[in-house]
Amino acid sequence: MSAASTPPASEEAEAPSPARPRTDRYDASSITVLSGLEAVRQNPGMYIGSTDLAGLHHLVYELVDNAIDESQAGYCRRITVTLLADGSCAVEDDGRGIPVDMHPLEGRPACEVVLTKLHAGGKFRRQSYQYTAGLHGVGLSCLNALSEWLVLEVWRDGFHYRQPYAAGRAVGELAKIGPSGRRGTRISFRPDPRIFGAELSFSAPTLVSRLRELSFLNPGLHIRLLDQGSGEEREFQYDSGIAGFLRHLNQDAKVLHPQPLALRLAQPGVDIEVVMQWTAGYGENILSYVNSINTVHGGTHLSGLKNALTRTVNRYASELGILKAENGERISTFDILEGLTAVLSVRMETPSFEGQTKTRVTNPELKTMVDEGVSGALLAALRADSRLAAQVVARALDASRARLAARRASERIRIQSVDTRVSKEVYQRQFGIRSQNWHQSAVWIANQALLAEHVRQLPSGHYPRMLDVCCGSGVVGASFKGRVGTMFGLDLTPEMIALARARLDCLTQGTVYQLPFRDNTFDLVVNREVLHLLPNPERPVAEIFRVLKPGGRFIVGQILPFGPEDAAWMYRVFKKKQPLIFNMFQEDDFRELLLGAGLVDLTMSEYRLWESIDVWIDTHETTNLHRHEIRELFYQAPQEVREVHPFEILPTGEIRDLWRWCVFSARKP
Amino acid sequence: MDALPGLPTHEKLKQAFRLEAGTVQRYLYFARIADIEGFPDVAQTFRNLAESGICNAQGNLDFLKRVGDPDTDLPIGETDLNLTAAISATILEQTESYPLMAKVAREEGLLDIANWFETMTRTKKVHEQKLKKALAQLAAVRQEEPQ
Repeated sequence: MSAASTPPASEEAEAPSPARPRTDRYDASSITVLSGLEAVRQNPGMYIGSTDLAGLHHLVYELVDNAIDESQAGYCRRITVTLLADGSCAVEDDGRGIPVDMHPLEGRPACEVVLTKLHAGGKFRRQSYQYTAGLHGVGLSCLNALSEWLVLEVWRDGFHYRQPYAAGRAVGELAKIGPSGRRGTRISFRPDPRIFGAELSFSAPTLVSRLRELSFLNPGLHIRLLDQGSGEEREFQYDSGIAGFLRHLNQDAKVLHPQPLALRLAQPGVDIEVVMQWTAGYGENILSYVNSINTVHGGTHLSGLKNALTRTVNRYASELGILKAENGERISTFDILEGLTAVLSVRMETPSFEGQTKTRVTNPELKTMVDEGVSGALLAALRADSRLAAQVVARALDASRARLAARRASERIRIQSVDTRVSKEVYQRQFGIRSQNWHQSAVWIANQALLAEHVRQLPSGHYPRMLDVCCGSGVVGASFKGRVGTMFGLDLTPEMIALARARLDCLTQGTVYQLPFRDNTFDLVVNREVLHLLPNPERPVAEIFRVLKPGGRFIVGQILPFGPEDAAWMYRVFKKKQPLIFNMFQEDDFRELLLGAGLVDLTMSEYRLWESIDVWIDTHETTNLHRHEIRELFYQAPQEVREVHPFEILPTGEIRDLWRWCVFSARKP
Repeated sequence: MDALPGLPTHEKLKQAFRLEAGTVQRYLYFARIADIEGFPDVAQTFRNLAESGICNAQGNLDFLKRVGDPDTDLPIGETDLNLTAAISATILEQTESYPLMAKVAREEGLLDIANWFETMTRTKKVHEQKLKKALAQLAAVRQEEPQ
């Protein structure tokens, strides 16, 4: 094995090619043959998807999935995952234990074969397991290859066995430790820091969410997570199945109908379960699984479900005469999925997946099966419960009308913006509705450290009159409490003003294009994350300058791109989230904007904040299509963007984005 | 082939290149929507056709290569020529094309679109720098090569 060794130097090379003379010889000696396990170590991404946080956790899921398979086969009831202080992890089950007898062909104990040879395992022959989640034999040896060390323990046939491994190879014989009455397997391992980097470590919250999900999907199974670092211990055991999972997902949501729709379709070799419930939210939250694997990127089963929902709701609404199908009226898939929480769980014998980490299922028959099965059952359920049916149809029609209205609103902006004035009603509508759950709609709104960063920009001194302009709920202005005298607030919508009353002293409804205040009124004006929404931002800044007293200060926070490299990409993300955006400022634009108004002594500080985009995009201003498109923009972000703009996609599919908040402070001379 | 420059066919080749390149992008965009709407088969059709579109667009470049870059008319073919042509195109885009587009949009009151074009101008500046760096690195490699 001459994996990465230097190719032999040769003086008697053939005549060099004219294009690029090389002295390396290309012959049989330069063809590298990697053993299976070396191939895994050299190209881990091919086997576990990636070597980031997601890949690291995939190792644990691999073991847990194997234990789940054992439980599906009827032999395992308890799984314990332990995170140890040295960065290692142990997964233990009370299943049958990996076989320890000699493998007839390999001449080694069967467990050693499973742990050291790719494509060895009990799942290649259908007799042992019916529905499996584990990686069909690539899994255990792959995990072993990526571990600095691994210890296998098996309790089986009255004895306790133990065997140590390092970097995928056995470093000792399988030893019989002693007699034991218990049964099961325990694998302890430490991910190899040369592969995953020394700084990565297991995250208990990430594991909690996956383990909880697994225990819902496998009713009756008992799963325990011990985090020795924090001393925390969590146990999961649910008998309620995916119906309970749905209740858990919707625990904080305002649901449209109290009883979820639950459908079950069993056919030979395939078992399909769906639970659905519509909420008053805007996002769609559909989780899909095949043999307990979270198919984050969907696949044929999810397509089938979406088709069935669209077809059935349209058909039912036409039957009732609510929808005039003959006039071409149709409720779109987006409208039906708006506010829907659903769990789709499929168990089947021969799932086929795209990619080693199985995020998308591809069996074509699954689409037809789910589509037809769900359509039939759903139509029957709607016909049987006219109240529920009316609620579902009304919800979809409502979404459809809101979408059309939003489109009309944006068309109106286009017309009105010819004279660069945006209809006041459009903003009022947007931000009025937004006020309903303003503080829940993003972390940054009430983030104390970010607010403190604004206050930190205020030089010491006396500021008797402060104005929070476009104050929203007034959190920015209120953070200056104690440093200023009377706190004024201005906003366009009565809803926001009502919210701000709890925080500020004196509120006025009005527009920032024409501030309803005299010249030289305020010692301090503050504002956050508004100017990018305003066409011709020079005018509001000029207005702010006007109402400031000479010597008064303007403090303004704004999210900016990390550089020109991510500006266009961020523009697209923000525009899809918020159609009213007019400017994707870059740092020098923003400086020019402030200096251009006559402000001086400009300083800036940066504050970086992680934000989960799932919360941020779950508002009525973002259409369902746009929510999907925003996620796609993250999944497919160009390399040029990734190099400057940190974000992460968690194993759960959640996207966390790092926001570059810039807080500017300037003085009116 | 020397007869090609300036002939109507030369213009047609440029036009065909833009058509195909545009088709690829439209289809990839449509494919994403089809995926989101839950029509993976339609998405796959769009992606397959986009793949053919790439082949078709480059077929036009096979001919155009002999006479020059379709955007700048500068000679292309080898990597240093390609880099030079690409650099010229980014300069053209950031000094003429996008600023003019932004100006038109601003005059028509479409301020978000104007800002989008302005963002493009800045992007092109960065691309120009990156391409220039690549050209300099290429020149350094050439220097080291034995004559």
